[in-house]
Amino acid sequence: MSEGSNENRPGWAVYPTHAGEPATGGVLGRGERKIDGRGRITGTAVFTDDIQLPRMLHAKFVRSTEAHARILGVDLSAALEIPGVVGYALGEELPKKYGVIPVAQDETAMAIGKVRYIGEPVVCIAALDEETALRAVRAVKVSYERIDAVLTIEDALDPRKPHIHEGSRKPSNILRRVFQEYGDVDRGFADADIIVEDTYSYPGSTHVPLEAHVAVANPEPDGKLTLWSSTQNPHYVHRDVAHVLGMREQDIRLIKPAIGAGYGGKCDPFCTDILAAYLARKLGRPVKIALEREEVFYTHRGRHPTRMWLKMGFKKDGSITAVDFKAWADGGAYASYGVVTSYYLGVFMPLPYTLENYRFESHRLYTNKPPCGPKRGHGAIQPRLALEMHIDRAAQRLGLNPAELRRANCIEPDTETCNGLKVTSVGMKQCIDAVVQASGYEQRRGTLGFGRGLGLAASAYMCGALHPVYQNELSQSSVQLKVDRSGEVTLFSGTADCGQGSIHMLAAVCAERLGIEPSDVRVIEGDTALTPVDLGSYSSRVTFMAGNACIAASDRVRAKLAEAVAAKLGVSAESLVFRGGKVYVADAQERGVSFVDAVWLAEERFGPIGEVGGYKPHKIGSRFRRQSVGPSPAYSFTAQVAEVAVDVETGILTVDKIWVAHDCGRAINRTIVEGQIEGCVYMGVGEALYEEQRYRGGLVSAPSLLEYKVPTIHETPEIETFIVETHDPNGPFGAKEAGEGPQLSTVPAIANALHDAVGIWFTRPPFTPESVLTALARAERSKS
Amino acid sequence: MLPLAHFEYLAPTEAVEASRLLASPDARLVAGGTDLLVSMKHRLFEPRLLVSARRIAEMQGIVPAAGWLSIGASCTLRDVSRHGIVQQRLPALAAACRTVATPTIQAMATLGGNLMLDTRCMYYNQPAGWRASLGYCLKREGSVCHVAPKGRGCYATQAADTVPALWLLGAEAEFVSVSGTRRIRVSDLYREDGMNWLTVRPDEVLTRIHVPLEDRSVAHRKLRTRQAIDYAQVLVAVAAPAQRGEPWSAVVSSVAPRPILVESETAEGLAELSFRGSQPLSTHLASAPWRKKMVRVEVARAVDALLRSHAGSG
Amino acid sequence: MSDEVVLTVQVNGERVRRLIPASRTLLDLLREDLRLTGSKHGCDVGDCGACTVRVDGLPRLACITLAAEVQGASVQTIEGCGSKEAYIVDALDKHVASQCGYCTPGIVLCLASLFDDQADADEAAIREALGSNICRCTGYTKILAAAREAAASRSSA
Repeated sequence: MSEGSNENRPGWAVYPTHAGEPATGGVLGRGERKIDGRGRITGTAVFTDDIQLPRMLHAKFVRSTEAHARILGVDLSAALEIPGVVGYALGEELPKKYGVIPVAQDETAMAIGKVRYIGEPVVCIAALDEETALRAVRAVKVSYERIDAVLTIEDALDPRKPHIHEGSRKPSNILRRVFQEYGDVDRGFADADIIVEDTYSYPGSTHVPLEAHVAVANPEPDGKLTLWSSTQNPHYVHRDVAHVLGMREQDIRLIKPAIGAGYGGKCDPFCTDILAAYLARKLGRPVKIALEREEVFYTHRGRHPTRMWLKMGFKKDGSITAVDFKAWADGGAYASYGVVTSYYLGVFMPLPYTLENYRFESHRLYTNKPPCGPKRGHGAIQPRLALEMHIDRAAQRLGLNPAELRRANCIEPDTETCNGLKVTSVGMKQCIDAVVQASGYEQRRGTLGFGRGLGLAASAYMCGALHPVYQNELSQSSVQLKVDRSGEVTLFSGTADCGQGSIHMLAAVCAERLGIEPSDVRVIEGDTALTPVDLGSYSSRVTFMAGNACIAASDRVRAKLAEAVAAKLGVSAESLVFRGGKVYVADAQERGVSFVDAVWLAEERFGPIGEVGGYKPHKIGSRFRRQSVGPSPAYSFTAQVAEVAVDVETGILTVDKIWVAHDCGRAINRTIVEGQIEGCVYMGVGEALYEEQRYRGGLVSAPSLLEYKVPTIHETPEIETFIVETHDPNGPFGAKEAGEGPQLSTVPAIANALHDAVGIWFTRPPFTPESVLTALARAERSKS
Repeated sequence: MLPLAHFEYLAPTEAVEASRLLASPDARLVAGGTDLLVSMKHRLFEPRLLVSARRIAEMQGIVPAAGWLSIGASCTLRDVSRHGIVQQRLPALAAACRTVATPTIQAMATLGGNLMLDTRCMYYNQPAGWRASLGYCLKREGSVCHVAPKGRGCYATQAADTVPALWLLGAEAEFVSVSGTRRIRVSDLYREDGMNWLTVRPDEVLTRIHVPLEDRSVAHRKLRTRQAIDYAQVLVAVAAPAQRGEPWSAVVSSVAPRPILVESETAEGLAELSFRGSQPLSTHLASAPWRKKMVRVEVARAVDALLRSHAGSG
Repeated sequence: MSDEVVLTVQVNGERVRRLIPASRTLLDLLREDLRLTGSKHGCDVGDCGACTVRVDGLPRLACITLAAEVQGASVQTIEGCGSKEAYIVDALDKHVASQCGYCTPGIVLCLASLFDDQADADEAAIREALGSNICRCTGYTKILAAAREAAASRSSA
């Protein structure tokens, strides 16, 4: 690769992404096994809870039983008399506030002075074993003085209610209000032939990773610390643990073992991380904290329950004249990523349909409930339901075909939206065409009889945030390669594979550029002592950013190998092909050397072979300076059709089939991409049918897998998946994302299908049997 | 992650010995453990002694005898549902066993355990931290029922999947204790009290379930949110009249501490009578009014199934 | 009477004899005492299937099984799966049916138990068996495809 293309800043490359190139290395686009698949299947992959250290203590939390209260006293006397109890920590010992979003660091590791939600940690006790720790925790008496609790959106907006965070600069229970306006919205409505206006309500839901949050900390003899954490974001945990403990970051080694998934639920630094680290140092022994399932529900950081109002104007031909949108998100007791949520609720609405006049106002509110945060499709899931139902409602009123209305409004590639999002590749129409054809949507919709229906929805999502959450000019992702004389390539990256397949993605991207097999690449990830920084597994950023960093590093290795082989063969480096474990002259396979020989030649010429590559997005100038949250280097697109059946006697809704097409840019591994799409659809089906984090006052109604219903295999529909490839110019080999975007259109497709089935617009998921039956009865009454 | 409190453990070989051990107030019998261990992890009870059913000979085996099938209380639901005679002569029992939780749990849980299943309530079957936050309930540690705070009793519901079918099949449960052996009809085993829901003493050991092989035509239905894992929102069994002049009967469960028997002269009337006879309370996350409506739907569907199978068999 | 039990079991074909607290669950015996960590704590109360092992060939949830209750039995965990179960592991691997992998060892044992019992298990039987195991990542599509293929390879073998 040419160092000259580096925007004149050495080390900061606009690297070639190889978008649109054929897969010269022979690896890309295959549907092969993951290089780390077997370890997970056979139980040899090591998860955090699998770690046991000599003399390791187990710690558990005393948690608040009050939604909003002053802590009057903590009586530990009975607990500390229990044999086997070794030590404890109180909130006051860790007073430093932290949080991933620098402008909203409002959380301490445990409550200090007052509690803000039921389940908030108050005391942490370490003992020789878990049973003793639990007995000790149950023996602690905390006395509280209740404060009027703020439990709903109305409460949070009520100025007479107490402030959950006292002493903040702007005392209120509104964490963030965002208002943005583009074009002339009022004029747009005046120009409209019809107006569609309604309110929607989207429930909160939680991630339910099968692995609970776990941390293990080991104090090192030199005063340093090793911390293993089940985190999606090792980098932010690393920073925040150091900050709260008052340690230097370089004195903490943060290791992310295999992760039993996250879906956004393991993006924050948690009390587990901080207390394991703190108690290990305080007590001089390794400490493990493994949450119970009940505690995972209190830890939460799930989807924000969101109330929405949406008004859209349409011309008779179906074009959109204006959109006005308001959202109120019930965020729980701490900020978490809530500032970001407040933007994500609004900024993606101008996708994927052409829109000139747009206004949105969102509020992210504090309430005395477990904190909400990022869940798959963060902030964009809720408004998408409203938008996609509005499109179908407009089509109905205008007598247009909903598929055609969507197609006609699709933005074209290389568009800048009214709010300044610069969109490169767009496969929206191909996605709509794929699912409409496969499902027979246009012929079958409206013909299935009462109780059966088909629904369509479309959506768009981001591929990583253009701007890092804390301002810096550094790499957002980086990869380091070490090439051994044996031909083995070891790839180091700070990424955090939580099941989405990023380990394999890195191996495949590297193998593709070096002409070897992914299984020839050993990936070491998520270890601050070994791996260069990647910001983490959130915002669907990993394939795009780490993939590009990996290309950069791989191309540097490739350049050295090519130069050495070219010299040996007396050909130009540009004429060489890397494929099938060989480096050879294009069109003359016999003139070449094995990859191993190429490594030897390169090492003779350049010394030991090791290279690094980093990625940060281009600076994309926006017309709107304030538009700092939302812009992404690329956007993915999805369309899906749902076929549903309603049992009109019970109200039970069944999703029989989903056809889903997703523009992922380019599939680096087709099977993994399909799996991500299927997983998104599955999670969407759960949110359509059952999933809701319900409360009784401030108490989670049912913190168990028995009562928080995630679909089993029996409720999961058949999913037929289509991959659309648009070769994004900025994505690695043209790849975008597949891990979140496909979830956005699942619930709206089901809602639109439900309307096709029974003629009712259901504006509040989940579509429970009772809500369906009640609506059917109401419709029956209004007929008669 | 969720450790058990310490307890002592004994595995006697005879039911009468188990009965002697169970006479102490803090003792519990463990068979499949699929409900007991969950409750213990949630600290619903912390027994001092667990008495294992594992080695008790009288509780094993499935044997036909003089027009009855005698099923050992320790037989797993999987074994019961797969037994040839059960499949051929007692299909409603086989079906009921197969709706319990999941196939893996059916391979662990026992028929005896299902009959003796603790009553359930959304305020009771919760983790320890949750119950500490809400305030404990009448059934465990507390003095108030959260379902009916002004009521007098506990409304936790009978939730065992096999009970309605066994009831209508005329099954009897055999109990052994230090004071002897007795047989109780399944229909007489339950009381209208969520706290003391059984008519037997804690030291009586359920050893066998006897089911008459009378080829009664019984249909089992379980309404649940998910087709695996979940307990019933409504549970019904319906029996067609064995001979002319007898009524149609339904047993409706998962709506009250005791299953409800409903009889109707006509097939058509059974669903409506069952609906009127059921007063579910807010013991489940699904709403009580909806569950009440579902009683009618499920009974009607069970009746339909029986009428169809009769028409089919000529 | 004692709150400890002398336990003798076969674990993955090896005899194990230990003095354990009576309150030890089979899952903790496997994970903490024998360091067989392939069986996972998911929900810990029998709802998810991540701890599924086989006891005398049948699937069992180790999180709600007392170790004392498997006295004298033969226990198989994922670590004890080898050439006999290779067709299941291979099919799951081929279809990338394991994303995070936390549920997968339990699914391997669930399927092994099914296919040993029903060599010709059809789609309905596979679905019924997998109802015991929650997978939060895959939407079951790839797991089902792998299980179908495993069943086919087994019945043709």
